[in-house]
This record gives sequence, structure tokens and C-alpha cells, in this order.
Amino acid sequence: MTSTTDPVRADRDNQKLGGPDATSKPRVHRRGALEYVAWAACALVAFGVIRTLLTNENYQWDVVAQYVTAETVLRGLVMTVVLTILCMTFGALLGLFVAVLRVSPLRPVRILAGAYVTFFRGTPVLVQLIFWFNIAALYPNLAIGIPFTDVSQDIDVNRLISATTAAVIGLSLNQAAYQAEIFRGGFASVDKGQIEAADSLGMSRGTKLRRIIVPQSMPTIVPATGNQFIGMFKETSLVSVLGVGELLMSVQLIYARTYQTIPLLIVACLWYLFMTLLLSYPQSQIEKKFSRTRARVSNDPAPGLTQTELMGEAK
Amino acid sequence: MSQMNGEGTVHARGLRKSFGDRVVLDSIDLDVACGEIVCIIGPSGSGKSTLLRCIDGLEEIDRGVLRVNGEDLGFRETPTSYQALKRKEVAAQRTRIGMVFQSFNLFPNMTAQENVMSGPVLVKGAPKAESRRRADALLTSVGLHGHGDHYPWQLSGGQQQRVAIARSLAMDPQVMLFDEPTSALDPERVGEVLAVMKDLAQRGMTMLIATHEMGFAREVADTVIFMDGGLVVEQGKPADVLGNPQEPRTCKFLESVL
Repeated sequence: MTSTTDPVRADRDNQKLGGPDATSKPRVHRRGALEYVAWAACALVAFGVIRTLLTNENYQWDVVAQYVTAETVLRGLVMTVVLTILCMTFGALLGLFVAVLRVSPLRPVRILAGAYVTFFRGTPVLVQLIFWFNIAALYPNLAIGIPFTDVSQDIDVNRLISATTAAVIGLSLNQAAYQAEIFRGGFASVDKGQIEAADSLGMSRGTKLRRIIVPQSMPTIVPATGNQFIGMFKETSLVSVLGVGELLMSVQLIYARTYQTIPLLIVACLWYLFMTLLLSYPQSQIEKKFSRTRARVSNDPAPGLTQTELMGEAK
Repeated sequence: MSQMNGEGTVHARGLRKSFGDRVVLDSIDLDVACGEIVCIIGPSGSGKSTLLRCIDGLEEIDRGVLRVNGEDLGFRETPTSYQALKRKEVAAQRTRIGMVFQSFNLFPNMTAQENVMSGPVLVKGAPKAESRRRADALLTSVGLHGHGDHYPWQLSGGQQQRVAIARSLAMDPQVMLFDEPTSALDPERVGEVLAVMKDLAQRGMTMLIATHEMGFAREVADTVIFMDGGLVVEQGKPADVLGNPQEPRTCKFLESVL
């Protein structure tokens, strides 16, 4: 037997027998049996779901089709969209304010802002909504006036806080607490060196916040806020308990009359799903854009792997 | 004005700084005259960065005297104590001290030109058009003519550090501090930054430089300070400290880096 130091030697022999050169052989991964099992199980579940959707007459798809573009339903949808936009706008603005208070140099201000967040995140939003709706029981009369003068105007709180106002106040205040946490997380993500550089130039707190911290925390804030927006869209269904005529309330009004509960709930679900899918496209675009900016914003070189690649198994 | 006398000077007496139980600077005495170039050398963790950060007011000292540009930094001396200055007053003192960081710390949301303009416009409220012209001139002086509209991520490390120097200079500081300005750079980019600093030194700027570049220290410094364990071990002319060190610790350090 002739000894050799060439590790490819064995393959040269193989090549003589007609096999491929070792340098050009493809690298193959065998698909595991588990994957086939998973596909089979998946197909089985899908088959079952589709079969019951089509064969169970209680779904009453004809009723669904009849009501999906009914005027009452569409009016409810518009109300849902308006509520979402209003509450997100107020929530984001108030949330930014609370977040700024939470990084205040004054301890009592920080404590107050922290208490706000703790309270509104620590109690169910449904309870908060009902609370706002019944606020008149707590403060029956609101006196708006100019302090230290006789000029004042009594307002009947029961009339001031209609169901819709209670809904907007309740959802906005709750949203503000979550939004404040998002802003705070964003502020915390700004590199410490950036703050030091700004301090070193003698920048005031306000300028630092407006020109350095807020712009640089946008890559973390904007995608998270987008998710909140989608969440808020569904959360507005809660205000149906106050009798606000949004999407869920609209279908409830119909099925209270016709007793076609299931098909009308499906109508509502279809609209929620449609709108959520509609919003998730810009959301994914925003996330993509800001994950790029994120890399640029930091001093470090851009990361090579995206989240999905990291989550996936090694190839 | 009395403080005019002290412009461009740094004086420390018995300066002490600790983080919790760890004393990082112990009884530091330092005298830097106007226009003097001081290079601070020493191993990592010797306290050179902390000393510069104290002089820039990024860290508050525990005890001792620290006078920069002839004024007590961040505090006002009273017969019994040092009273902390208002935020605004500290900020005003800081505008007269320039700091260049190891990791550049350019604002990534601004172009090179906007970075250089940021101090004059956002802090001093200078008119934008004039600041823009000034920023372009400063960028040209650090060899970055035509790079004004580049964002930091589009620039190499050496270019970013030169923008950072220009940003500090835009505030017309009387003292410039450099915290290991070339330590984060690729070896072939070190020279361009050192050249800018050398140029600045020749124009009479007071400079305190924490550095590992012994060749630069030997060539440019008026005074070299060797620090170890939070103490100034040895200081003097570069030829003496680097060429003929008296302390065994200095000898050991120089042997390991040269």
C-alpha cells in the first residue's frame, strides 16, 4: 500500500471509477422524518377546519354575505377607525409627555409619572372604561372657573361624559401608559456616549431631548407604536360595553333583533381581520426600514443577521 | 475680568474620584499652562480617561480643587464648601472645554456638517448660514472638504474622529481633551487623526491627550504624565519621562509598550 499525504487521494481513486471530483460534490442535508409528520398533521388540521366551515350550516354564510357590507356595520367600522386614530393620537402625545416626566431630574415628578403608569397598566382597561363612564357618580358637578375670581361655570358631568367621550378618555389614558413605557425604552436605547457628547457641547436638557434622544430612539419607538396601533384597533371593541356604536356594537344591535348571533360575529371578525392585515403591511415595511436605520444609528457595523434568520435553525 | 487670566489653563490639587469603594483618582495635582500640550500615558484602568472626564465635567469629583479656564468646574467655592452650580452655568463652562471621545460619538442622525454645526446652532444659538460656512471651513481644516453631507455611517473611523474634532473646535474651546482618540481606529487610520491633532497643537491650543501613541507623545507633548493605579507616578518633559524614566513602574510600562 502506497502511503500519501494528500487527503483527496481516496477520492481520486473514486474518480477513476467514474464518481465526481471531491471538490465539486454537492453538500446535501437530509430532510428529517419529523418534517413529513408535521406537514401531514398540518394538512389534517386544515382539512378538518375547512370541512366544518363548509358543512356546518349554523355558520350561515349567506347571512354573513348579506350583512358584511350592511350600512350599520360599515358605520360601526368607521366609528372603530375614528376611535383608533383618536385614541392613538392622544395616547401617543400624552405618553410622550409622561415619558419625559419619567426622566425628569426632579424626583417627585418621576414618582408621579411612575404612579400613573403603574395604575393604568395595573388595572384592566375594561374596568377603566366603565369607571370613566360612571365618573359622574364620583364628581357630579365640575366647576370650570378662573381661580380667585367669581367667574365660574358649573357643568353637569353626566352630560359632559357621553359614552363616546368616556371611551376616548379611557382608551387614551390607558394607551398613554403603555406608550410612555415604549418611549422610555426608546430613550434608554440611545447610546450613553451620545448623551455625553451632547453634554460635553453644553447642550440643555430640552435640546438634548429634541435633537439627540428623540430622533435616535425613533427606530425602537416607531415599530412598537405600530404594533400598539394594530392592538388598539381590536381594543376598541371593548367600548361596546358602554354602548358606543363601533363595529362590535353594530353587529350586536343587529343580532339582538335577528338572533343571527354567529354569522354577525363572523362579519365583525372578518372586518377586524381585514383591517389588521391591511395595517400589518405598512407595519412590516416600517419595521424593515427602521431595522436598517437602527444599524446606521449605532456606531457599530450593521448586523448581518435579521431576526428571522437568528430564530431559524442553522442550515 | 479675573477669569480671563486663567483661560486655557487646568489646575488640580488633591483631586480625588471614586466609584463606590474603588478609588480611581487619588490626590492628583496637575498644572497645565495655556497652550501646553500634555500627554497622559499609562496602562488601562490607570485613571487617565477618568481624569479627562472629570475635567470635562462628565464625572463629578469627590474632593480636591479642579479649576479649568480659571474657574472652579461645576461648583462655586464658599468659605465652608463647594456649592454646585446651576445646570445652565455648568453648560456654559462646558462650551469652553472641548472633548474628543474614543468612540467618536458623532450624532448619527445628523450629517458631518450638521454635527459640526450642532454646538454653535443648538447651544449658542448662532445663525445657521454663518455656522454652515464655519463648519465647512472646519471640515476643510481637518482634511474633509466635500464630506459635509455624509452621515457618520458613511465615513471611516478616522474620518469620523476628524469630524468629531471639528465639532469640538466649532465651539471655540480654550482647552481640548482627547480621550484615547485613536484607540478605536484601524492602524492605517491613526496617522490622519494624529496629523490633525499635531496641526492643532502647533496653533497653540491647550491640549490634554490620553494616548497609547508613544511616538506622538514624544514628538508633540510639552509634558508627559505617567499614571498608574489612579496616581500620577511621574511627569516631566517627554525626553525625560519616555527616554529616561526614574520610577520603576514607568520603566516597566514603557518596556511593555515599546
